[in-house]
This record gives sequence, structure tokens and C-alpha cells, in this order.
Amino acid sequence: MALLEVKNLTVEFGSEDKPFRAVDSVSYSVDRGEVLGIVGESGSGKSVSSLAIMGLIDFPGRVTADSLTFDGQDLLKMSARKRRAITGKDIAMIFQDPMSALNPCFTVEAQIMEALQVHEGGNKKQRRERALDLLNQVGIPDAKSRMTAYPHQLSGGMSQRVVIAMAIACQPRLLIADEPTTALDVTIQAQIIDLLLKLQDDSDMGLLLITHDLALVSEAANRIQVMYAGQLFESGPADSIFAAPRHPYTQALLEALPERSVGRDRLSTIPGVVPGQYDRPKGCLLAPRCRYANDHCIADRPEVNDFNGRDVRCFYPLNDQGQPTGQPTSQPTGQNAGETV
Amino acid sequence: MSFLDSKPGVPLLESDDLARHYGVRRGIGKPDATVKALDGVSFTLESKKTLAVVGESGCGKSTLARQLTLIEKPSAGALKINGDAVGNLSDKDAKMFRRTVQMIFQNPYGSLNPRKKVGQILGEPILLNMDHLGRKEREERVRDTMAKVGLRPEFYGRYPHMFSGGQRQRISIARALILEPKVIVADEPVSALDVSVQAQVLNLMMDLQEEMNVAYVFISHDLSVVRHIADDVMVMYLGRVAEKGPTEEIFAKPLHPYTRALLASAPKIDPTHRVKSEPLTGELPSPINPPSGCAFHKRCPFANEHCSQVRPELRMFEGREVACHRVEEIA
Repeated sequence: MALLEVKNLTVEFGSEDKPFRAVDSVSYSVDRGEVLGIVGESGSGKSVSSLAIMGLIDFPGRVTADSLTFDGQDLLKMSARKRRAITGKDIAMIFQDPMSALNPCFTVEAQIMEALQVHEGGNKKQRRERALDLLNQVGIPDAKSRMTAYPHQLSGGMSQRVVIAMAIACQPRLLIADEPTTALDVTIQAQIIDLLLKLQDDSDMGLLLITHDLALVSEAANRIQVMYAGQLFESGPADSIFAAPRHPYTQALLEALPERSVGRDRLSTIPGVVPGQYDRPKGCLLAPRCRYANDHCIADRPEVNDFNGRDVRCFYPLNDQGQPTGQPTSQPTGQNAGETV
Repeated sequence: MSFLDSKPGVPLLESDDLARHYGVRRGIGKPDATVKALDGVSFTLESKKTLAVVGESGCGKSTLARQLTLIEKPSAGALKINGDAVGNLSDKDAKMFRRTVQMIFQNPYGSLNPRKKVGQILGEPILLNMDHLGRKEREERVRDTMAKVGLRPEFYGRYPHMFSGGQRQRISIARALILEPKVIVADEPVSALDVSVQAQVLNLMMDLQEEMNVAYVFISHDLSVVRHIADDVMVMYLGRVAEKGPTEEIFAKPLHPYTRALLASAPKIDPTHRVKSEPLTGELPSPINPPSGCAFHKRCPFANEHCSQVRPELRMFEGREVACHRVEEIA
């Protein structure tokens, strides 16, 4: 049984009759000892879906799901008190900006000890010792003197290590890392990802790594999920999904990376922008930006289907040569030829 | 205007030993300290070329940008535009030269005034610098520039909040271009954008370079973007240049240990490249109290006694400039 099982998670904002779906029927699962990478552009719903798992979506947001089970228990059906005991302890989260995730008024020590007090109890001395252990575990040099430091005295990388120490304080079984390295330099990013993977490996934790960085997720994750405008577009094993993308969006994203056009003058682009609340297409959400879209794509919305062992939300998933399959003889509409904004 | 015309044999932009030091008060009873944010940086930039400046935060990239755009005056060294020294001009004279060096900022959400319409944002530089132009001519010029960067003319009366991140960055680019500068300093112009939009903006910047003959000083931490857009790369560490040379050569064979570490730390999409290659330990040291000798020696896998005592100077090696004592041994 999977550690976390999400079935048809939907998060809506706005009025009941005209809701905005930030996350639209997303399903996935994370196993023990597995790293699941969720990748997507801004506005793809990757952060909102993880906040929904943590129970951090406030009114007026509405979270619905067929099931949201953690370790066999449905998080949506349990009492708030029981759920609070799980979130923060068994499911922990790391946020994007370490500088704003820490409270500037309290020392590092006090903030780690607070998490321990809520979930583990123990006396002050035990908690302080555990906090020191944790700081050593996340590789903070001279941890003892950093215990009494305030967040403004720490660098970005150090702050993120402190945030990680807080997250793993209660030995979580699932760690959700939402853009953990976006605010950091590339050398520090490598250190932090190394640390996360080591901790995940040591304790057989499940890790949900949310990022917009395709290269990062391809290096760190076992399985990858590509999201677009709140929907799951493609998911599959990390080693094959970027080698042979099945969804036109995954293909176009990869081609837009500068490293894919070494020696060429122009980068290939995806015209247009991610649809917002008021400009959702009727059919496939990618249709206005997709180079293969035809009338069928513009009129109807595709469902997620299995294609060669991959979950793909497309009427015409791509073959190994990167060409759409099963497309009728009608030509693509070709409306995306120009680069318009 | 003669000072704007390029002169044969003279580089468009030349920086010679440019330095910028800041005084820092450390509290009562403690002596004031000096932060050498920029310390002896030299380079030349030719017309239509792109120089990329890379390095971690705190290495002096943005300080360099502030000197080049004449927002601040350098503490030492010389800055020349078309052969004219501009380092220590009076405010009035500096204003003339500022037109030749314009800037694009990192955050398209923070760098546009939310209370002004696009037309006003783009018209303001003309109003300040070319007051001989009438209202009609000004509007015409704004609309022309908007068309150049791919903004529709009906956006003239809209406010910045009505645009997406990519479109806002186009507005920023238009604002930098409107005075027809020779050099554009772009401080992380695409790092706040998504991959697909980033590609659109990079293409636009390259097209405009062709069309308007501008040179770019492109500040970025994203090495794959730098590789795509730049002709030359300058790697900086703690206010000094670590390595400088043609882009392809640096990416093919980085010489300085810091350049190597930077390239190795960047994740790559390659299913076989999953093993981490010696990520750099430690962090950028405090610029108030930099290490003795080579500033990089505490994080460098090749450092020895000599490195911790004597600061390496930039010198030529295999057609590139490298500041490392041991470059011959480790190359």
C-alpha cells in the first residue's frame, strides 16, 4: 500500500457557481523511500495541491477528493484534531523561501524546540539536545553556537538547513519540499538536494519534490509528474519521461530549455501563456499553445489515459520519434506558427 | 552627437581595475569595516557582443551593474564609454552618458511603477532626456518601441498589473531600448520567468541585438542561459574575477576550480547524469572579512599552503584569463 494516495484531488476557489479550479482531479501516490517529482510552470497548481495535502487551504478555498489517504487513513474524513497530529509530524513540509519561513523574532533553537514540544513532548533539556542533534544532522557547521542565532544572522543556505531540521524533527514519513532550492545559489542548491536525498534514503521517507526546474527533478526524482494549469498532463519514471516525452507539453517544455538548443541561434518557444481564471479554453487546456492541436483538441477535453505504461492526458500521445499517434488525416490547425503574446 | 558615435579601434565599454568599496558601521566601540564589493575588475565590451557575468549571490554582479549604469561612482579604477572616461563625472555630465547605458532589472513585478500606464512608463525616459521632442513625437516613439518588443499598440493605456510576467519583462526591455542605448545591462532578466516564457524573452533579446546593434552585459546565475546568449563569460567570486574567456571554451574546459564547481553543481537533464560530482562544500565567505590569499581557497579541492597566503592575480592561460596559482597543474 502506498504511503500517500491521492485520488481526484480538486481544489477550487471563488464562488460556488463559477469556481476557479486551481487543481483539477489530480491523482498520484508516493511510496515509502520514493522520490516523486512534480514539475510545472507557475499557475500549474503544483503548490496548491501540496498545501491541500497539508490541510493548509483556508476558506474560501474548497478541497475535495475521492480519497486522500495517508498510511491507510483518509485525511479528509478524520477529525481536525487527529489530522493536526499527523501533519507536522508524519507529514512535514519545506517551503520555498527559507528567509520568510522562519520567524524573525525567535532563535533557531526556540523554533525547532516548538515543533518538538507540540508533537513529541519531553522536557526542555531533552528537546534542546534533540535540536542540537538535528542541526548537526543537517550539516550546520558549529551547530552549538548557531542554536541561539536569529534567522537574520544566517545565510540563505543555512536558513534552509534550519527549515529542513524543523521538518525532520519528528521523523516524518512523508516530506513535501515545495521549491526547496529556488531561492538559493546553484552550488548551495546542490548541497541542499544532496542533503534531502541523503535524509530520505537514511530514513526510508517518501519525498514529494515540487519544482519548476526540469533538470533538478530529472536528477533527483524516481518518478515525475508534469502538471499544467491544474491538471496532470503526464507521469512516468524519471529515466524515460524526459528521454521520450509522450505529451506535447512535456516535449515543448524540454525544447524550450537553452541546453537543448546548443549551437542554434533561436530557442524554440511555447507561444502564449498559461491560461488563467477567465481564459480557460473549452477543450484541451493546452490546445491554444500546442503545435499539434486540431479541431478535436479545441472542442473536447482529453482524459488521462495509459499509453505505453505512462499516464498521458492527450488525444494523440507522442511516439518514440516525438510524433503524435492516432491523429486522423486532418492536418494540425497550425495557428501557432507566429510568436504572439 | 559626437560622443555617442563609435570610434574605430576603441572598445564600446571598457572597465579598468574598477572597484567599489562600501563602508560598514558595525556598532558602538567597533571600528568601521570596508566591504570590497567590487575589487579590480577589468573587461572590454565591443558593439553587438554579449558579456555574461556569473557567480553566486554576493559576488559583486549587481554592484558591477550599478557602476556600469553610472548609478554609483566607482571607488577606484576607470570606466570608459567610447574611450571617454565616465567614472567621476558631475551629475550633469553623467546624465548624457547614462543614455548610452540602460538597464533591465530582474523582477518585472517590482521594477514597473504600478500607478503609471505603459505609455507613461515608456515615455518618461524621453521626457527626461530628449526634451526637444514634442508630445506627438514622443507617443510615436513609444508606440514604435512597443511594436519592436512585441507589445500590441492598444496596450499603451494599460497598467502593469494587467500583464503577465513575460509581457512585463517586454515592457522593461522596451523602457531600456527607448533611448537607443549602445549598451544594455540586464540583471537576471529571465530568472523570474517560466521556462517557456524565458525562451520567448531570450529570443527577443537576441533579435533586438541584431536589429539595434546593442551590446549586452548579461548578469545571470543560470549557466545554460549564459551558454546560449553570451559571447564571453566572466566568472566572479567575492568581488574579483576568477576566470574570463570565450563562452564555448569555458563551457568545454573550465579552468578555474570555482568555474568547474559551478558547472558541476548545475543539474542537467540527462538520465545517465544522476551521480553528483563533488558539490562544493561551504558557502561564500563574508565580504567584510574575506579569507587571506585566494578568496576561494577554503572551498577549493586543490588549495595548498601557497593559496592561503598569496592572492592569485588574473593571468593569461590557454587564451583565457584565470586567477589561480595552480592552473597549470590542474588543467
